[in-house]
Order: sequence, then C-alpha cells, then structure tokens
Amino acid sequence: MQITFWGVRGSYPVPGAATVRYGGQTSCVEARSAGGDCLIVDAGTGMRALGNKLVREANAPMHHHVLLSHVHWDHIQGLPFFSPAYVPGTKISVYALLTAADELHQVIGGITRHEFFPMPLEAVPAQFEFHQVEPGVDFTLGAFHITPIALNHPFGSVGYRIDCDGSSWAYVSDTAPFTEVLHKQHFLSGVEQLSDDDRVALAAMREALVRRLAGVDTVVYDTHFLPDEYARFPHYGHSTPDQALEICAEAKVRRLVLYHHAPSHGDEQMDRIAADYLGKGAAVGIDVLTSFEGMTLPIGDEGTLI
Amino acid sequence: MRIRFWGVRGSFAMSGRDFLRYGGNTTSVELVTAAGERLLIDLGTGATELAKTLMGGEFGKGQGQLPILLSHTHLDHIQGLPFFTPFFIKGNQIRILGANPISGLSLEATLQNQLAPHYSPLNGLENLAAGVSIETIQPGAALEVPGFEIETGAVPHGSMWTTAYRITADGKTVAYLSDVEYPSYEDPLEVALSLARGADLLIHDAMHADHDYELRRGWGHSPAAAGVVVAERAGAKKLALFHHSPDATDDMIDEVVARTTARTAVPVFAAAEGSYLDV
Ligand SMILES: [Zn+2]
Ligand SMILES: [Zn+2]
Ligand SMILES: [Zn+2]
Repeated sequence: MQITFWGVRGSYPVPGAATVRYGGQTSCVEARSAGGDCLIVDAGTGMRALGNKLVREANAPMHHHVLLSHVHWDHIQGLPFFSPAYVPGTKISVYALLTAADELHQVIGGITRHEFFPMPLEAVPAQFEFHQVEPGVDFTLGAFHITPIALNHPFGSVGYRIDCDGSSWAYVSDTAPFTEVLHKQHFLSGVEQLSDDDRVALAAMREALVRRLAGVDTVVYDTHFLPDEYARFPHYGHSTPDQALEICAEAKVRRLVLYHHAPSHGDEQMDRIAADYLGKGAAVGIDVLTSFEGMTLPIGDEGTLI
Repeated sequence: MRIRFWGVRGSFAMSGRDFLRYGGNTTSVELVTAAGERLLIDLGTGATELAKTLMGGEFGKGQGQLPILLSHTHLDHIQGLPFFTPFFIKGNQIRILGANPISGLSLEATLQNQLAPHYSPLNGLENLAAGVSIETIQPGAALEVPGFEIETGAVPHGSMWTTAYRITADGKTVAYLSDVEYPSYEDPLEVALSLARGADLLIHDAMHADHDYELRRGWGHSPAAAGVVVAERAGAKKLALFHHSPDATDDMIDEVVARTTARTAVPVFAAAEGSYLDV
C-alpha cells in the first residue's frame, strides 16, 4: 500500500510564493493497495488535481470511494471540481459521519446548491451514493479494511484506521487534543468550563483513539498549530505536533506524518517545524515526516520516499 | 483612486510555481480613494491576504469600516468570508452589499448557509464579532457608499445573474464585469456597455482564451475577446483581463495578453495579484 498527499493545508487554500514547496491545497489523501485499489480520504481542494490524474489513468477506476473526516469547507470543496464526477458511468460513494439531523445527501449536495456552484450534484453525470459511518463500526472496501474513530472537533469529525496489504495507516484530522475542550454541537467563542461528564467523555475518546492506533505503521495527524498558537486558540479544534507525538508514542506507532498545516505557515517555517519535530520524534522513537503536496509514502515495509 | 488586485483567479484557487506571477487566489479587488475611503469587491481567497494588511491598521483595533460589494455568491467569490479576520474583531463595521440570488433564497440566507454548522465552525453570521450588515441591492439601482458613486446592473452568468458595477471616485471610473457571458460576445448587452461607458478602467471576465471558448460556450464566462469588444464600444480607456481560468498558467496568460493586445488599440493587461494601479 502507498499513500499520496494531494492537499496538506488546513482551513483554506493558500496560493503564492510561500507555499510552493509544501503546497497550498487543502486536505486530500489517496491510498493505493498493491493490487491498485484506490481509496480517497477527504475531498479538500487537493482533490481537483487528483481527479485530473485519475481520468488520465489507463485503467481509470469507474467507482470511487471517498471517506470524509467531516464536511468543513476545507475537506469537501474539491468535490465539485473532481473530474471523474463529469464522466458518465462513474459512481462515487461518499462515507461520512452524520453530525446533524440532515441527510448526508442534503449536506454534501448543499455545497453545490444553485447559489454556490453552477451545477447541482443531482445534475452531474456521475452517480453519487452516500453512506453513514459510525465510530468503531468497521467495514471493508476492496482491499481496504476501515475503522472509523471519533475525534474532538466542532460538530464532530472522524479519523480512519485503514488496514491493507498486511500493514496499516491512519488518518487523524481534524482533531483537538483531549484535555481542555470537548467539542459539541454548538459554537465556542472560547474555552468552556468542563463538566465531570465532559472529562469522562474526553478520556474515553482519547482511550479509544490510542487503542485503535495501536501498532499502526503510519499516522497522518492534524498538527495545525504550534504550541504558542494552540495556547491562543485551544477552542479551534486542532492539535500541535507535540500532542500528536504523545498519542503516537502511547500507541507505539512507527511513523507520524504532520498534516493540515496552518495557512500562515510558509515553506521556511515548515522547514523549521519539520526539522524540530524530526528531532523530537527521534527522542521518543518515532519517525516524524512533514507532509507536502505530491508526497508519496510506502506504508509498511521500509521503503524509500518516491 | 487606487485599485489593488488581491485575487484574480476564477473558479478555483491555484497554488504552485505555475501561478506565481498572476497569482492563484480567487477574486477580490480593493479600491481606495485619495481621501482614504475603502471599498472591496468580492470575497474570494484573495481577501484573506488583504485581511493581513488591514489588521495592521484600524481593523486590528476594531475601528475599521468597510463596504463590500458582491458580484454573486458562487464560492470563488465568497470563499474568503469565513477567514476574513476583520470580521472577528468587535467594533469593526462591515457592510456586505449584493443582490439576492435568483434561486429565491435571500443573500443573507445564502451567506448563513455558507457558515452553517456542517461547513464552518463559525456556525452563522451572528457569531462574527464585528458589526456586519447584509444589504440586499436591486441591480439597476444606484448605491450609497461614502466616497464612491456606484451604479449597478445585472448581467447573465450561465443559469444565473451577476451584479456588475460602475464605480466612480476622485473623478475616475472603474467598471467591474466579472463572471459574465453575453448571448454573443461580438455583441455585448447594452447594460454592460452603459456601465463601462468611458470608464478609465474596465475589469472584465476573461476566463477563456479565445481559441478555447467554443468548447465552453454556455458555461457562464467570457473569452478574452469579449472584454475587448466591450472596451472598444464603450470607449473604456484601459482593459484588465480578470477571473483567469484555473488551468491558465502564467505563460498561458502572457500569451492571451499578447494576442489580445494585437487585436485592439485599447491598452490591455492581465490583472495580477498584489499589483495596484492608480486611475
Ligand atoms: Zn480542516
Ligand atoms: Zn474542520
Ligand atoms: Zn467566478
């Protein structure tokens, strides 16, 4: 299995000279099994370039599976620009958490409503299909075995552990740490006082995450913030590389990939973050990589970066 | 009047080496009068760059005032809204002016949808700390914005309409006609000509290179040649090609400019992110 990063940025796309090397497009990762099965995780703006590649492939898949962590704009905005959606005969299955009363097709179809986009989802040639995922309830798609994991993010999000070809990786984005804030279904203008129940819920979420990640080869984690930024915005629903390392060390994973980079972190700052956390990871026995757009990573057997 | 392009890309923000000279951010244009009054048109991702500059001044202290005109609510024109930091500072007064979409939803309901809890942690306009007013305009009517005289008109854009603007300040006039496709580009609609009449600068949708247009007719955007016809017939003094296709690399845009320049006596340039112009 290998994974390729098509978008590594959080919040919104950031064009310009400062993002040429790490990339400016938002969340989207492609996984490929040894046998060629394809799985897409998140549909941020990176999905446009992925789609353009997929339609040019010799044996382009006609059925795409897209796992969504949640439906914030930076994780779905690429979907209307995904070229395979405009190829007749294509089927696109979308898997997502149901966080509110609305049906998934309404929520996801809502991004292409008339006011926002020239063509509604119902009018595109591809056939769309929506599946609800539930944390802890695993399922299989081709060569991939998938376990959704509840995360701590405004209005909810899910991570995925993905097992395939005798190895595994996990996608843990977006999430806050499991300490100061429990994200629920309402807007937070700052940190709220935690109740005892909240503390119990946070501890349970953290415990389940560590348990699901146990022994995973590679974990892609939301490390949007540096510690000083997190201190100012603990209620925004994102983590630091330090918090990711703590979880990964407990779960004894081999490799952590920093992901969902803040829009303000330009290439030079990203170089410093990459170097700093390579060292901090080594100190606890974890190989830390910093994702960049276009990076392909073999999962499992020690391979070289392509 | 000074005009600054913060986002010039259409449809989709493009990052990477091929888009560095003209820029990859989606549409946002700032106008500032000699007396310092400011007006913004459209809230694409380019607005997030402007926000950084604004926050260094009175907007960072909650003393900023900004009217924003929207051409329409397609995502590339409002994508920057949830990340436009002046919205998060109490005391700033921001007006968003635009027409109701023809779907029957109001402008306000549309922007609320953009910030719905599914899509954005902001969970609604009411959570923006600044004073924000959403003002529905009737295309065709004149607008009152301190320092600027504004005329408006509806122009066709695929299955919907966008609002085009004619803005006059300091005795100079800028026409903004983005996201428009005329039934025939050789024969632009009168509403476009009258908004652009004698303008010192015409900013026009040029999403398609002329040779690509036939394949994309009916998609709601113009070939570069459309802006030329409008500029010539309306007697505009300068033409800025705008709303570049996400597929157009810097070199391709250079080529469009060269071809367009060769066919008209009107001075033509392609709008580039970060650049400004005194009219
Ligand atoms: Zn995100
Ligand atoms: Zn999010
Ligand atoms: Zn547009």
